[in-house]
Amino acid sequence: MPDGAMPVLDVKGLKTVFRTRGGEVHAVNSVSFDLKPGELLGVVGESGSGKSVTMMSLIGLLPSPPADVRDGQVLFGGEDLLKCSQEHLREVRGADIGFIFQDPMTSLNPVFTVGFQIMEPLRKHMGMDKPTARKRARELLELVGIPDAARRLNDYPHQFSGGMRQRVMIAIALACDPKVLIADEPTTALDVTIQAQILELVRDLRQKLGMAIVWITHDLGVIAGIADRVIVMYGGQIVEQAPAKELFHNPRHPYTRALLKTIPSVRGQRAEKLNVIEGQPPILTEAPTACAFRRRCPHAFERCERENPLRRPVGPGHDAACFWNPETGAAHA
Amino acid sequence: MLDAAPQTGRRKLVEVAGLKMYFPITAGIFRTKVGDVKAVDNVSFDIYEGETLGLVGESGCGKSTCGRVILRLYDPTAGSIRIDGREIAASAQSDLRTMRPTMQMVFQDPQASLNPRMTVAAIIGEPLEEHTNLSKAEKLARIYELMDQVGLNRNFANRYPHEFSGGQRQRIGIARALALNPKFIVCDEPIAALDVSIQAQVVNLLEELQDRLGLTYLFISHDLSMVRHIADRVAVMYLGQIAELAPRDDLYATPLHPYTQALLSAVPEPDPDVETERGRIILTGDVPSPANPPEGCNFCTRCPKVMEICKTVEPAFREVAPGRFTACHLYDDTKTTAGVTAAYEASKSIQQGV
Repeated sequence: MPDGAMPVLDVKGLKTVFRTRGGEVHAVNSVSFDLKPGELLGVVGESGSGKSVTMMSLIGLLPSPPADVRDGQVLFGGEDLLKCSQEHLREVRGADIGFIFQDPMTSLNPVFTVGFQIMEPLRKHMGMDKPTARKRARELLELVGIPDAARRLNDYPHQFSGGMRQRVMIAIALACDPKVLIADEPTTALDVTIQAQILELVRDLRQKLGMAIVWITHDLGVIAGIADRVIVMYGGQIVEQAPAKELFHNPRHPYTRALLKTIPSVRGQRAEKLNVIEGQPPILTEAPTACAFRRRCPHAFERCERENPLRRPVGPGHDAACFWNPETGAAHA
Repeated sequence: MLDAAPQTGRRKLVEVAGLKMYFPITAGIFRTKVGDVKAVDNVSFDIYEGETLGLVGESGCGKSTCGRVILRLYDPTAGSIRIDGREIAASAQSDLRTMRPTMQMVFQDPQASLNPRMTVAAIIGEPLEEHTNLSKAEKLARIYELMDQVGLNRNFANRYPHEFSGGQRQRIGIARALALNPKFIVCDEPIAALDVSIQAQVVNLLEELQDRLGLTYLFISHDLSMVRHIADRVAVMYLGQIAELAPRDDLYATPLHPYTQALLSAVPEPDPDVETERGRIILTGDVPSPANPPEGCNFCTRCPKVMEICKTVEPAFREVAPGRFTACHLYDDTKTTAGVTAAYEASKSIQQGV
């Protein structure tokens, strides 16, 4: 992808808290990232690391209360999405930013035909009449590899298998030619052989359509296969950001390094004993005044307790939020 | 290590032969039976004492049903199950009860398998209550011992499951399974609900306990990389049947059955270099319904190497090389190890030709 191109999406200092009875939960803390045209950005992290909440906040999908998007800027097409009206956001969501959710069963409406659900955004956002929309819906189903598309338009979601339903979701998300596609764990609910089909489809669609994609997952294997660039989230923050190859070959943050070592492989060397990250992920009720990973980090020292590290550049296009320098084995100067 | 299991004269702890588990499909107001869901259809395997047999497959292939029926949580339709030398496929519930301490289970969802109204001590102590005559003090001592074994803090004995994280809850489930000193534990997707960094903790715990207590596991999972780590031998299930069963290293290095090949090829590798280089086998279509499996080989509708014979004749599940079993017509003519290697090489070249 061309470096230095104007990003299609630019997120700066995003901060989201949930107000609960037990106090405030700092789900997303000063998250900044951008998305370049045509790029596939992978977002990895464990459950509760804030990856989904980040994406939901930036397109206004979180119910408020309890959510409160407190700070930050989301620049998309020259405007700040956080300042837009709900009506305008709805326009943006359907037409310019497509969304694919994890569970294809619950995100499709069971009482409408698949055809109706694909035609809905086409008619709302593109102002197509029924026959045109139907024709386009058929093309979309063919594009995502559903055989006998014309007939399947009249089927209901329950008549599709899990993998086919996810293809339908992709068709809906692509309906209005979005500039950005946000995919939240789109293959997590699927079996591996079906996941392989969907990943193949996405590789193919990227070549044909060239939109920018944000791909959220906890599976580093999936990320390795499709992402251009990766951000790693932990405890509501971005702890590392790098081009995919760089991240896998030269991870800098202790969390990324540990995470890459805990996953066993089906190929290559088989480890006798799995590496573990001791302890539990943080509970985000305390304000982020210290490094979120310090209690599980083998390199933590006194400063990590006192101060929350900012992301600092560690290589070309590569930054990490850590005081520790893996090259010297000591703290950064 | 245990790879050469079949050759050595080690004792078989679990012997399963011709196991079938059909669930009836009923229709109409009289609930007349109109068919069967063949969840487990003619499955045979042994598990040796002290080993871990991995059982892998995609959702709906019958692997969990298989694990449950082996412990007689369901009554099998046909077949024999021998655990520790005793036939349990047809024994009465009262006889089974005396067997229960030998065979235990760890469930997938630690949230659903622990009673939210019982304390940890009560959960772990319940099997002791049912099957032993320990005094109150002895019981508590045993509960503490179990909590130590699985790495739970004794001070938490009076807490409730909701106060624990997913990984800790799974430890409670493991402690409960260990309470009666079982020989055989069925682990049904014990790590599927956990985060990556917690999965390794639980898997290491299971391995440690196995070494220390000499346990035998049936480890059911859809995670092929984790199974490669923990299992000594691996069985691959597809649509209610075992497609291939082999020692772990053989299975991952030279998968024989086309389904195993496709399944392994579908697992993404956490390394961008490997991911861009490697060839993939992408299966077309979906798994057929187990209520109406295809004629002949049950994989023939998706198999990239399907032949005419596959559509009519069901391949026999047989030993094609020492310790390696598969149900595939590609290996019909092979009787020797060399023959299998040749057949595997041939099947690989077909693959690359596609």
